[in-house]
Amino acid sequence: MSLAPPAAKPRRQGEGLAQAVILAGPAIFLAAFCVTPLVLLVQLSLSHHQDGGLWSPGFELTQYRALGEPTFLRVVGFSLALAASAAALTLSLAFPAAYFISRMRRRAQVAWLVFILGALSLSEVLIVFAFQVLLSSGGALVKALVDLGLMAAPQSLYPNLGAVLVGLVYLVLPYVILFLYPAVSRLDEEMPQAAATMGASPLRTFFLVTTPLMRGPLVSAAALVVIFTVSSYLTPLVLGRPENWTVGVHLSNTALDAGDMPLAAAQAVLLVTAVVGLLGLVRWIGGQRAPA
Amino acid sequence: MNPALMATWARRGFMGLVGAFIAAPLVVVAGVSFNPTRRMSFPPTSLSLVWYRDFFGDPDWMASLRATLTISASAALLSVAVALPIAYAVWRYHSRLSKAMAGMGASLFLLPGVVLAVMFSALWGVTGHVGRIENVAFSHAAVFLGIPLSLLAVGFDSIDLGLMEAARTMGAGEADAFRLVVRPAMTPYIVCAIAYVFVLSMNEYLIAYMVAGFSVQTLPIRIFTNMRTGYEPTMCVAAVLFMVVGFCVFGSLALIGDLPRLMGRLRPLRD
Repeated sequence: MSLAPPAAKPRRQGEGLAQAVILAGPAIFLAAFCVTPLVLLVQLSLSHHQDGGLWSPGFELTQYRALGEPTFLRVVGFSLALAASAAALTLSLAFPAAYFISRMRRRAQVAWLVFILGALSLSEVLIVFAFQVLLSSGGALVKALVDLGLMAAPQSLYPNLGAVLVGLVYLVLPYVILFLYPAVSRLDEEMPQAAATMGASPLRTFFLVTTPLMRGPLVSAAALVVIFTVSSYLTPLVLGRPENWTVGVHLSNTALDAGDMPLAAAQAVLLVTAVVGLLGLVRWIGGQRAPA
Repeated sequence: MNPALMATWARRGFMGLVGAFIAAPLVVVAGVSFNPTRRMSFPPTSLSLVWYRDFFGDPDWMASLRATLTISASAALLSVAVALPIAYAVWRYHSRLSKAMAGMGASLFLLPGVVLAVMFSALWGVTGHVGRIENVAFSHAAVFLGIPLSLLAVGFDSIDLGLMEAARTMGAGEADAFRLVVRPAMTPYIVCAIAYVFVLSMNEYLIAYMVAGFSVQTLPIRIFTNMRTGYEPTMCVAAVLFMVVGFCVFGSLALIGDLPRLMGRLRPLRD
């Protein structure tokens, strides 16, 4: 890459130099901590696996052939389905929530934003712990269900697929609300108002007028949820059974328990490829600029 | 009931449920930390500070707290220090180079956490510099770079270009324009970006574990080990501390700055 001057604007004197000075540090950082790890990951996926978590440089496709195994493909398929369900559930909560927040009075809006931002300070480790407590057979939720007669005898509500989904939705919900907030706050009031004047119910207006206007940000948000959940680790590990484990759990086990870094790297390369493909698809569907 | 009133109540009910859902784990963790017994139960039967005494009296928990705060503070400062010149160059020069760098820097944030963990453990493994606390800080700074890049871009875009022109017309040099217009406008965004990365880094588990987990026990790592080997309410004390820090940081941000605007609302908001 060279220090090319901007194409459209006439260049002021010394601009190239000023840029070079301020961008030198960030460029070194990016080269060391963004480009190098990506290159290493690809190189590692082609290396030769040795016992004890070691590897020797090489150029072999052993790892990539192992990706075609039916067990691994089934895990990938399950993870994608899980991530897609998490995305659908999260959006159905986050989109109306962000919309309502953006229509509140200033003080209420600020309070909600502080609340949602503050909720980010709970680590995933503690979120899964809290859900363990909430869903356990001695927890308040089970007690309430038994008291209401919805459950015959107290029994734990985890580990199972439902618990994993709830945990994942919880994990991404604050981010998605914050991600959609700028877009919904920019929404024009005129179209929905016109629809209401013409007799459409609020619900109809929301789904037929507001939602289509938000197609781009909604698709981007869904993609973000899929990326974050497809490879989730702690939540499926703690709140799910082994058959609910995502590709993220299997990948970590490959790296940590089996010590097979080259295979883990190949699985990671596959995931990166999938993410890039997904983002390309989002761009295409959204037909608009990529999200920030 | 008329439809408008019904819609209002439906909206309030919905927001109440969302709020309760988001609050539930926070309340559970806080409740457990004040529980007098070791039994994992909620709601607590009475209030006690015994786990707080345990937490602050235990050198291991204190070491983890120190390690975590060191990592998240350095990661936050580093990642904002890297993002600021890039975002400034994108805004000021519109150059292809700066835009490419912004894209590159934001790309890692879009990769799954597990992939990043493998990438960075390979990086530090190859350099032979393993198990060090700075590894985690640098990895987090790179991983979360997308946050300051996008927040600062929003900030720069909100600066009134007319104001910049006016400053220059009135004879202000580049440095003066920067001091008079750019710096005051950007300060809340910079603080917000630092707070955001700080909180994310403080809570990150997998990358920290794969990069240096065997020698640096950050709080999430210690808490997770604690959860698997036999649970102790002491771990919830750390969580309460973080919640207090989180709410204080974002609450004071709301006091010093226009939070809806910081979060990307461009339309002016009536009171």
